[in-house]
Amino acid sequence: MNFSQHLPALIVVVPLLFAFVMPLLARWRKQWCVPVTLGAIIFSFAAALQMAFQVMSTGPFSYYMGDWPPPWGIELGIDYLAAFAALTINGVGLLIIWFGSKDLLHELKPEVLGWYYTLYLLLMASMVGIVITNDIFNMFVFLEICAIASCGIISIKESRDCIEAAFKYLVLSVLGSGAFLLAVALLYMVTGHLNFTFMAEALPEAMVLYPNNLLVAMGLLVVGLGVKAALFPLHVWLPDAHSSAPSPSSAVLSALVIKVYAVAMIRLLYLVFPRELLGIAPVMEMILWMSTLAIIIGSMFAIVQDDIKKMLAYSSIAQIGYVFLGVGLMSESALVGGILHIFNHATMKSMLFLAAGAFIYGTGARKLSELKGIGHTMPIPTIAFCIGAFSMVGIPITSGFISKWYLALGALDVGRPFFTAVILISSLLNGIYYLPIVVNAFFSKPEEAVPAPKQLPREMLVPLALLSFGVILFGVYPSLILGIVYRAAQLLLGL
Amino acid sequence: MEDIIVRYVSRFILPFVQLYGLYIVLHGHLSPGGGFSGGAIIGASMILYALSFNLAEGSKKLSHDVSSILESTGALIFAGMGLISILLGANFLANGAAGFPLGTPGNLFSGGSIAIITFGVGIKVASTMATLFYSLIEEEHSHEHH
Repeated sequence: MNFSQHLPALIVVVPLLFAFVMPLLARWRKQWCVPVTLGAIIFSFAAALQMAFQVMSTGPFSYYMGDWPPPWGIELGIDYLAAFAALTINGVGLLIIWFGSKDLLHELKPEVLGWYYTLYLLLMASMVGIVITNDIFNMFVFLEICAIASCGIISIKESRDCIEAAFKYLVLSVLGSGAFLLAVALLYMVTGHLNFTFMAEALPEAMVLYPNNLLVAMGLLVVGLGVKAALFPLHVWLPDAHSSAPSPSSAVLSALVIKVYAVAMIRLLYLVFPRELLGIAPVMEMILWMSTLAIIIGSMFAIVQDDIKKMLAYSSIAQIGYVFLGVGLMSESALVGGILHIFNHATMKSMLFLAAGAFIYGTGARKLSELKGIGHTMPIPTIAFCIGAFSMVGIPITSGFISKWYLALGALDVGRPFFTAVILISSLLNGIYYLPIVVNAFFSKPEEAVPAPKQLPREMLVPLALLSFGVILFGVYPSLILGIVYRAAQLLLGL
Repeated sequence: MEDIIVRYVSRFILPFVQLYGLYIVLHGHLSPGGGFSGGAIIGASMILYALSFNLAEGSKKLSHDVSSILESTGALIFAGMGLISILLGANFLANGAAGFPLGTPGNLFSGGSIAIITFGVGIKVASTMATLFYSLIEEEHSHEHH
């Protein structure tokens, strides 16, 4: 029995299995909850690492659930994009929950702590499922698990704001799922397949016979996944949901959950729908303009915020715009930039949210004006916040610079310097709201005497340090991750 | 709620409801229905019992603790069967390919792992219905005390 050949199934099943063990542990062995959760995610991370090596050495491979070959059975397809996304999800997710193991103690009631780990593991399993599945209905099932679990980790705090935000998110997210399901039905109707590969083969012929059907399906998919990914005019749920949730939830929602839907959309638009269909309706052009608006308007909203987590949430709207900018430009460099930004934004935004969580843990301050001089009392989270802020602005030697660089190159490649200008302007806008925080943290005095902040435990400091190390490392040596991103982009563009 | 008619009627139909639910779960691999529908019927019978008698009586038959333990057990049976297939040398959730005895199609004892998985789903759904009911009721009670 070759164990490693089962990794595509186990990477989803192991977190799912332990999600169901967690309520039992929470009842009898409370102190085991955290180590078991960490263990399950470490397993998934190791599996993702192994799959990434395998895919880089021997090329994409697939796994048939229950030994039923497609089109009958469910196929899990590990290509470059899937391996890259699985690695991102598990790597960042591990650090977030490690931080959360201490931070959650003060944010949640003790009796719901066990449930938080259940929801978190379900979320991890479903996100990995979305990125590695090669079957559209299976993807829908994982989308639903992901939607429920992400609402759960917001509303678990049981404050008025959280429940209101989670309800808003639930309603819009379910609308998105409904649109997705309708699109699945329309696609199944004209192609007779649910497997992506078979669907892609059947679509060119179906497109001639039923063009309207397919256009509606594509519109529903873009809107359904766009709502979930908070693409600009569909972002209304995001600021409340991401700012009111407990800090580890905000981090995982902003860093990973919205990206997963972007990965799903990339896969569908590039690998399933025929290129000619994209010619009939200007979908890519629409995505391009929506992402441009997201980048500019998201940053503008962020400038006027006073609450640190709300500001980070609006910044996420702008940053998801970069990912979609890369998708919409359809050139190799731009797509590399967009996909790379999935990873880079995941590391830096989770770091920023966790640093904000550390400030709240230490001092209880959420307002930007209360964070003056915080650099002297809480140096490590502030330094992490600074590195994250520099990376957001795109200052060289941080990873944010690399993805913006590729996006700008991609825009020039296809002869649209306008979008390079958009990236430049948004970098300046990012500077306007991130840099004053950094300056105030180190160079200004608090307005009134503040009590000394609570000492941060090691479990919270180490993930912050690792994430900031990662942002610098992948800014100085981007080739560590660029190899797999390049291959993913080439596979998607059919080069 | 104290109503003698409701109590007598529900006492009379409860065994039949549960038996029917069990029938549907156990014939999940043969006939329409299966773990979800059968489990929902069994779960509904437990809710009916708790509604027509009272919460304390219902908790005596199936407490909140037991139902949440059963909930995890049901899901673990499902995932466990998938992992057994891997241990038997086939892919996750493989049935005949992993060497589960398939039996004669149409017999009650056939279908390999499907029958066991359906049973797990039945436990899961029945206990989830009960757990959700208890959670809602207890929420209501805790609000009344405030």
